[in-house]
Amino acid sequence: MNITKRIMPSSALALVLLFGTVAGVAVAEDGVALSGYGRAKVGSLLSDGSLFLAETTLDARLSWETEDSALFADVAVNERQGGSPELELRELYFRYSGDYMEMVIGKQQIIWGKSDGVFITDIVTPKDLSRFLVPDFVELRQAVDGVRLGGYAGGHSLELVWLPLFSPGVAPAAGTIWAPVMPYPVTPTITPAAMPELSLENGEYFARYSFLGNAVDLSLMGGWFWNDLPSFAVTGRSLTPGVGLTGIALRGEYYRTAAFGYGVAGTIGPLVLRSEGALQLDRRYQGDFAVYPQGYAAKNAVQYLVGTDFSILGTTFGLQFIQDLILEYDDALVNERYTNTATVMAVRNFAREALRLELLAYLGLDNPDALLKAQLVWKITDAMELSGGTWLFFGDSGQFGQYDDNDSVFAGAKISF
Amino acid sequence: MTVLNRAILPALMFCLAFAPALGAQEKTALAIMMAVYQRPQPVDMSATLTMTLVDSKGKERPRSLDQRLASFGGVDKKIMVFQSPADVRGTSFMNWSYEEAGKGDDQWIYMPALKRVKRITSDGKGGSFMGSDFSYDDLGARHPSKDSHVILGSDTVAGEECWMIESKPKDPGDSYSRTVSWISKNRLVGFRRDYYDKKSALLKTLSVLETRTMGTYLMITKTEMHNVQANHRTRMEFTAIKLDTGIADEQFTERAMAKGL
Repeated sequence: MNITKRIMPSSALALVLLFGTVAGVAVAEDGVALSGYGRAKVGSLLSDGSLFLAETTLDARLSWETEDSALFADVAVNERQGGSPELELRELYFRYSGDYMEMVIGKQQIIWGKSDGVFITDIVTPKDLSRFLVPDFVELRQAVDGVRLGGYAGGHSLELVWLPLFSPGVAPAAGTIWAPVMPYPVTPTITPAAMPELSLENGEYFARYSFLGNAVDLSLMGGWFWNDLPSFAVTGRSLTPGVGLTGIALRGEYYRTAAFGYGVAGTIGPLVLRSEGALQLDRRYQGDFAVYPQGYAAKNAVQYLVGTDFSILGTTFGLQFIQDLILEYDDALVNERYTNTATVMAVRNFAREALRLELLAYLGLDNPDALLKAQLVWKITDAMELSGGTWLFFGDSGQFGQYDDNDSVFAGAKISF
Repeated sequence: MTVLNRAILPALMFCLAFAPALGAQEKTALAIMMAVYQRPQPVDMSATLTMTLVDSKGKERPRSLDQRLASFGGVDKKIMVFQSPADVRGTSFMNWSYEEAGKGDDQWIYMPALKRVKRITSDGKGGSFMGSDFSYDDLGARHPSKDSHVILGSDTVAGEECWMIESKPKDPGDSYSRTVSWISKNRLVGFRRDYYDKKSALLKTLSVLETRTMGTYLMITKTEMHNVQANHRTRMEFTAIKLDTGIADEQFTERAMAKGL
């Protein structure tokens, strides 16, 4: 279990009391705001009707702002699958703002990258992929503990981020319907990756320059960090005479990597054109044991996208083409040299925005497979909405097709305050 | 830009001293509309806008947003930040529009849940503004040269003697087949506008409900757009209006969108 999400009961109680006390004291104070939402959501597999998603959430956000500083807390209580409620500290940070600078200290989400449903340059905040890509993207991103410094001059800005404490991403757990197909001939025994020791040396460092102007929006970023998800090193193999490989032992390893990227967007006539790209150094890929006894190879990799957004008759569309490219490729790698994906998004509002239809499709272009996310949201009042939709997978293999048995429908109710 | 267009979003700003100057001119329809378009106006403004959507049964859905706008040498910049309802609180829009002919607007949106500013398409201006009965076109600038204007006659609206001026777009692809504006003869301010759809049927009526004099400017502070075909309405009311406070160009940035006004 992700240690950033589970809080010990005593700590949880203390946090609730602290939050409640601060909220109570703050009610009479200027600059204090309490907001959030309550939500219930269920999801069922179409194949057998089983409920794989049943969760109730209360998300409360408290902010206290003065002229030049602010304190912000986001705490959520989640009950999942009928289990015990879990308290989750989503964010807790202090912010100081001057005319030309800003400093944010604490647990915070730092979102970089501006593409839809793709995270090429969103390199700071790790993702919770425990349910693959089906949750709302807002819920995929996790907070990180650290310091962010910003400097501003007109449309130019420079951000520096130091994260002394590594926060890993969350992969789908083994045994769940979202566990990916493992690229091994036998079921491996896996030793989980150990967290890097807390030290200055093991900190993560990021920088981004961005410019927003009438002709173009530009951003350049780089980082030296731990890969959010571990690689797996082979630590043992069992060979049975006459049978061959019958067992394999793996050990998860977080590893250092660096990335440099760009983002650019501009408007040409009715189109917004966008592109993002990043070069990641020494990214680890699983490989053939015969060639790579440790089970993986470190390669440089490039990922980029080109996309456009436009409107036709009141419907907003977004199209993206994404390519992953492994440099210095060799055939012993499990991954292909190129991985090509496209996304298609469409959003339309009806009935004075009381009804909203959202479609997002991921299309695997090499070995055709796809994921279609469709959702209809009905705002009964400004505070309350009902939603329902479907997640459909197509294909037999590939990053989307491997979940072909997970076609599902979902429904939810949400109240905002 | 027509007077009623200006009336809505930046509140209507009209220099009282301008009216006598027009009196000396030939009162052609185009001259009237140009005089309104070219009137002096504040360099910048900030205000709180309350927009109330009223359905056919009278049920009201209020929205509140803070806005800041200013002109910088041929570029009008504007930021709007939603304060309510709760689910969109903190969402902000920034728009840069240009006097340069043929240059489209630049627009960005900041969504607090996603914590990012994204450039968005400014096309589809005939579409509804935030679910209201105003379209983006209704709120934006429109040069009188884009339309052919004819004085239909005179009428009295809200006690004001007005010219009735019909404006037909020269581009047949425009949102409306024609509009009819009621322009005060004494104050050169629009008090009503009717919008006709592509089939020449009356679609919407814009009414000025309240005006206020601030310094040398006449501000329209409350308007209502009535969609007569769907029978729902949208009221817009401006409060906490501040004019010419020296808003700097540096206040129209990605950071301002994320932090709020």
